[in-house]
Amino acid sequence: MTSAHTVRTGLTRVASNIRNFCIIAHIDHGKTTLSDRLLEVTRTVAQREMEAQLLDAMDLERERGITIKMHPVTLDYVARDGERYELNFIDTPGHVDFSSEVSRSLAACEGALLVIDAAQGIEAQTLANYHLALEQNLTIIPVINKIDLPAADPERVKKEIEELLVIEGGDAILASAKEGIGIADILEAIVERVPPPRGSDDYVRGLVFDAQFDPYRGVVSYVRVMDGTLAAGTRFMSMNQRKVYEATEVGVFKPLMRKTRALDVGNVGYVIANIKSLGDIDVGDTLTEAARPAPEPLPGYKPIVPMVYCGLYPNEGVEVSELREALEKLALNDSALHYEPESSIALGFGFRCGFLGMLHMEIVQERLERNYDLDLIATSPSVVFHVSYSDGRTESIDNPAKLPPRDKIALMEEPYVRSTVITPPEYVGAIMELTQNRRGALANMEYLADGRVILTYEMPLIEVIIDYFDALKSRTKGYASLDYEVIGYREGDLVKLEILLNGEPVDALSSIVAREKAASRGRALTEKLKELIPRQMFDVPIQAAIGGKIIARETVSAMRKNVLAKCYGGDITRKRKLLEKQKVGKERMKRVGRVDLPQEAFMAVLRLGDT
Amino acid sequence: MRRITDLSGEAAGVAAGGVYVHLPFCPYVCPYCDFAKWPLQRSRAQRYLRALEAEIAAAPPLQARTLFLGGGTPNTYAPATIAALVAQARERFGLPAAAEATVEMNPDPGLCTPEVFAAYAHAGITRVSLGVQSLVPEELAVLGRRHCAGDVTVAVERARRAGIGNISVDLIFAVPGQTVASWRRTLEAALALEPAHVSTYGLTIEENTPYAAWQARRPGDFIGSDAEAELYALGIDMLEAAGFEHYEISNFARPGARCAHNENYWRNGNYLGLGVGAASYLAGCRAVHTRDFETYCTALERSAAVPGDGERLEGAAQLGEAAMLALRTSEGVDVAAFKQRYGVNVLHRYAAVLTDLRAAGTLDVTPSHVRLTRRGRFIANDVCQAFVA
Repeated sequence: MTSAHTVRTGLTRVASNIRNFCIIAHIDHGKTTLSDRLLEVTRTVAQREMEAQLLDAMDLERERGITIKMHPVTLDYVARDGERYELNFIDTPGHVDFSSEVSRSLAACEGALLVIDAAQGIEAQTLANYHLALEQNLTIIPVINKIDLPAADPERVKKEIEELLVIEGGDAILASAKEGIGIADILEAIVERVPPPRGSDDYVRGLVFDAQFDPYRGVVSYVRVMDGTLAAGTRFMSMNQRKVYEATEVGVFKPLMRKTRALDVGNVGYVIANIKSLGDIDVGDTLTEAARPAPEPLPGYKPIVPMVYCGLYPNEGVEVSELREALEKLALNDSALHYEPESSIALGFGFRCGFLGMLHMEIVQERLERNYDLDLIATSPSVVFHVSYSDGRTESIDNPAKLPPRDKIALMEEPYVRSTVITPPEYVGAIMELTQNRRGALANMEYLADGRVILTYEMPLIEVIIDYFDALKSRTKGYASLDYEVIGYREGDLVKLEILLNGEPVDALSSIVAREKAASRGRALTEKLKELIPRQMFDVPIQAAIGGKIIARETVSAMRKNVLAKCYGGDITRKRKLLEKQKVGKERMKRVGRVDLPQEAFMAVLRLGDT
Repeated sequence: MRRITDLSGEAAGVAAGGVYVHLPFCPYVCPYCDFAKWPLQRSRAQRYLRALEAEIAAAPPLQARTLFLGGGTPNTYAPATIAALVAQARERFGLPAAAEATVEMNPDPGLCTPEVFAAYAHAGITRVSLGVQSLVPEELAVLGRRHCAGDVTVAVERARRAGIGNISVDLIFAVPGQTVASWRRTLEAALALEPAHVSTYGLTIEENTPYAAWQARRPGDFIGSDAEAELYALGIDMLEAAGFEHYEISNFARPGARCAHNENYWRNGNYLGLGVGAASYLAGCRAVHTRDFETYCTALERSAAVPGDGERLEGAAQLGEAAMLALRTSEGVDVAAFKQRYGVNVLHRYAAVLTDLRAAGTLDVTPSHVRLTRRGRFIANDVCQAFVA
């Protein structure tokens, strides 16, 4: 779709009637409502249709109040200057786990609406998203949303914007997406403030900012054309994987996929090219003409690296092949999901799975259980530790059970994050205590106009994924917000904490912890396991050990009495059914050695509370 | 007493087994009970009796080895009524003259007059089972029972005087408020009555009873499984010391005084249940009548089949039940008899399970028998589960 308003300026083309933008916001600040309004006001789609057609309609995201991804959509907008504009709206995932994808979506845009709740003000994700947008040189339009709320304080939020974002408070648009206030101003600001796309005419470069798998058509790549023209029928190359495909179809989102002849500079659309698997194309990759490749790919590509790993095993009654098939199918649509076979002495055959973060992990598990009806055992999440041996060899360890004995290890490193917490001042003490307990080092502390405090910490990623957010929420009555980014690997004094049941080590229950915390973690874990493991026919000793030395012990004492007293006047069926019911409860458990373990036991480490 | 080993297929193709007759009326209703039962109403009681008589008349043929009148409270009915019912059943099912015939009784003195026992004895009742439950006044009150310890003594004397010496006493432990000391008092007082048979039932909270509502509201009032185990153990110790044989999880008998009717259940024998909510096991089919009074009576008034649930027991379910039932008894599973009857060697079929349970100290496995250990009796559900399908 070549725009009628393309202007040639030497080697550069300016698509003066196109604006590419995204919306970034802290969770619950109103991104989805504003998106709906923009589509409605530009008559792109009626409210009801949108629900069904555009938003990724998976229940899971709805339930969790997050929209992982919405399809891109082109809005037709006639501005106050009388011109017709093509506004390409690219959605971004709303969770820190998906920040690498966020940055690819941002890279496809020239501008971003930064939505801030007029009552809550700037939160941790506001800042994180703002910084991501700045890195991409985007024009930022602050939108103070929910001004209709009784607690709204737009003036205060303007001050915060000036202080923290170094943007004129006066540039902010006051809006209420819910009430339809300020929507026209927002659309006008997109046209006025966001620069039109510019690109070279010498070669073709298209940024793949997302990709979906369609069972009938293969991979559908979502592409923003940066330079040149990507026409249907041309052979193109993915510059990262260096694979060549023929573009069988290109098109735009209006809002459903509509075939076009070509995508031009500034256009946002899709490319279908007989690509069989999401693994064959990387989000962030650059498409160029195979016959006339661009001198270099677009900047900023980073391969997606899983940050969190856990073991997934079939529970009793589920075959490992069923789990493999489900993972294969799920991975078709989720290139960030990594999995490879592993085996555990306790759990048998299963898979070590890598995820972007905890939310990603939970979503994958729930999909496997719901969509594929699998009863699974998930082991405690771990990060990837780097181990250096005395002989200079190094190894990445994503499964605590595989950590070699400490005396063989010269050095261990673990991933660190920079975390940002924004909180009302009264919780600063509690947060400091919590975070120091999690080996966090305070890097910075700032005060906002309204008295709120921004705490910046550097801390190990493992400490964040193990329940930190829940602990933070509970200590701050839900007022604190959190965001974090991985900043690299640092040395750590780490040990393997082993759990023994009935005197036998259970590999699936082991974890890697800081030496200084190992004893208290061991105690907390044995206590929690005692709570979670039901009484059995015999005493079950639970022990925690470091390097073979027992540091904590609890016992689940044997079930003393469980017997049906009566004969029910010969109603034997009733008696048998009661036993069968009890047995079904037991069969949901995993037998490890002679001990029946409920699924939760394997995730006990996530349920220790504030330790 | 005759040992019944196999009842499936006696003379001329007519199955032999136990006959159970359910009499659902009570002088008052106890808050823990969930059997099919109602407080006495004369007109309903009469209607029920007609329906029951019709069911006995239309029942499938069965050679009765034992007769058991349970409830409810059978002695709510007049003794002559019971005598007539026993006579009808005796004739219809050919119960031998000396065969065990039991009536469950509430020891309320008004319902246990000398005339009652005389009529029962005359009708050929050989055994009475008294719903004593406790001999401690506070516990009787908690259980909603209106008799007192003295009433039980009187009832026992009157039964003996009428010639019914085979007396069983039902007791309940784990009653809210019960202590080891109070349970000991009940057991001592029960032993002083010199019964031939004692049943000790751990209180079970059944859904939709007032006790279930109580437990939902104040779970702390109820005795936990550890304390319950202690009470159960005390019962076993005291009764065994007094010369009783602990022949089934909840049942204790003087030598020769086991309840043949109940033993037949545990041996997976045939039995015919008559009356509302009654259960039968005939020709490999388990069946249970509707528990709805109106539905039961109406069906028989229309000469229709009594509605209810049923299942044909086959394969693993049948084996599992047979094992589950046999394990409740002190004899346990007789490996050879089981093989002969079901064609399955228990030691092979359940090899893994047996190894496990033996290691856990709950089963005693010999080449000829599989039995619960003493420990196994306390957690028989966990053990038996391993056998059910």
